[in-house]
Amino acid sequence: MAAVTLKDVRKAFGATEVVHGVGISIQDGEFCVLVGPSGCGKSTLLRMIAGLEEITAGEIAIGGRVVNDIAPKERDIAMVFQNYALYPHMTVFDNMGFSLKLAGVARQEMHKRVSDAAGILGLDELLQRYPRQLSGGQRQRVAMGRAIVRKPQVFLFDEPLSNLDAKLRVAMRTEIKELHQRLRTTAVYVTHDQIEAMTMADKIVVMNAGNVEQIGTPLDLYDNPANQFVAGFIGSPAMNFVPGRVNGDIIDLGQGVSLPSIPGLKLQSGAELVLGVRPEHLAVSDGGLRAEVVVVEPTGADTQIFCKLAGHDINAVVRERHAFRPGEAVHFKPQLVYAFDSASGARLA
Amino acid sequence: MNGRRIWGEAKLWLVGIPIALWTLIPIYHLFLFSISSKDSAFGGALWPDHPTTRNFGIVLRQDHFYLHHFWHQIWNSLLISVTTGVLTLLVATTAAFAISRLKVRGGRVVMNAALFTYFIPAAFLAVPMYKAMSGFGLLNNQWSLILAMVTLASPYAIWVLKQASDKLPVELDEAAIVDGATPLQLFRMVYLPLMAPSLVAVGVYALLLAWNEYLYAFLLLSNDKSVTLSVALGHFLSADDSPWELLMATGFLYALPPAAIYYVFRRYMVAGLTSGAVKS
Repeated sequence: MAAVTLKDVRKAFGATEVVHGVGISIQDGEFCVLVGPSGCGKSTLLRMIAGLEEITAGEIAIGGRVVNDIAPKERDIAMVFQNYALYPHMTVFDNMGFSLKLAGVARQEMHKRVSDAAGILGLDELLQRYPRQLSGGQRQRVAMGRAIVRKPQVFLFDEPLSNLDAKLRVAMRTEIKELHQRLRTTAVYVTHDQIEAMTMADKIVVMNAGNVEQIGTPLDLYDNPANQFVAGFIGSPAMNFVPGRVNGDIIDLGQGVSLPSIPGLKLQSGAELVLGVRPEHLAVSDGGLRAEVVVVEPTGADTQIFCKLAGHDINAVVRERHAFRPGEAVHFKPQLVYAFDSASGARLA
Repeated sequence: MNGRRIWGEAKLWLVGIPIALWTLIPIYHLFLFSISSKDSAFGGALWPDHPTTRNFGIVLRQDHFYLHHFWHQIWNSLLISVTTGVLTLLVATTAAFAISRLKVRGGRVVMNAALFTYFIPAAFLAVPMYKAMSGFGLLNNQWSLILAMVTLASPYAIWVLKQASDKLPVELDEAAIVDGATPLQLFRMVYLPLMAPSLVAVGVYALLLAWNEYLYAFLLLSNDKSVTLSVALGHFLSADDSPWELLMATGFLYALPPAAIYYVFRRYMVAGLTSGAVKS
């Protein structure tokens, strides 16, 4: 087991820099999730940790040892690929034992380690099968088994669940989490799915366009987003954003809708800003922000109300059941409002 | 069955029947001659009145002036074509692996050069090749034909294998690299097994190219004991009174090994071994 430290890591393909000086410190035994939209550089970063991509500048250390110029196999890492990457001409047993075979581990020891890993993952019955004879979930499990048998210092996961159907994804999510709790090996996990990030991570790194936007625990990011990007990316359904203008003690949203200024907001009259409210922080009330209902979606547990507020689409999730008709007026009382700079997106309050 | 499907099926037959006839009639003709006696060979019958296996007996016993070295020559053909197949595979597989998987510098140039060689017909190169082989002192040595055939087969073989290996998912290489494989282990333990179907197809191509070769074999080899059977078959026509029935019987025997090779390896010609490797 080992800590993983990235210092000002950069990656350029030719003249195009795709990762701009990323610094992350992952503790020993931590489950760290890199999350962000496609093309944000998270997979490239993972591949640099694995040694599959060269580092243009900066430093990556695993267990205190700088690995910039060390070959992947010397880094003591194991990787699980998005499309499994199982060797199709080998049985499950041979797939899982391949790294041990290459390392010259004795047959008996290899047998024991593969059986142990197969036991953990429930693959005992499948050891003599070929990858083509397995279902998607089983293949993914074999891919994880291949990583486990090596007893690496760090597990690297590159969107391991994105090829599975929704139901299986939820099940495998729990399985990976359980596995981590059992093995306590440092893990770096890449995903574009913020729910995966929220549910699995000890630490989340939110990335966008090659930069780290924020690093923190899941609830930390949810409660205290550093900027508009993180606020919109973390949480489901996503946070509502409405532009406004400070006008004395109130914030004017246009079309005659306004709300009182937010504590801690230090802006002069006339300054523009973006307000953010999570759908679950909007409560239906008799007074407050007036909006016009567009669509109501009852999901059983709660009700999702899509409406127009001062000409902007917003979305509220409430526990009570409502039967609003489209076009009807509804009033919301926001319980928690965030404010962001309208130009930079930085959090103001 | 509606009209469109009938028409679709009819088009298939319209194309298929002429192609089948085009392919089968010469083979039937060959066979017909080889089971006819010398007198009835040119009788024009669709089936001889008295079919005979006598011609095959003469060929197998080497019981004719043109056939004194039959077994030796068929062995030459076999040796040369198998060696050509093996050497071509060696050259093409390593080249394709280096270009497609290891991404060596200059790979594109090699690929384009490989394709470019086919702008020049092999016959144009016959004389330069003859001079080159004579310079190496290899004339009348079977290695000259083997090397010439490997040279002619390699560009196409590299091209095909490069295309095939481009289809292997790159994640397999990466998984093997993370698992600790050296490039050579990757080649031997992951790449070669997965390329097996293409290797068989390319190997068979090179083997048959050499087996069927006439021009180069005729130019580079001259001794009766070192020529291939294809050249020996040509010798039959050197007299006015050629023994056609024996020529055809020998030709028929000459055509059997390629047919057998196709039959044995037909599965590999189409099989895709990579299913299940990655989610597609």
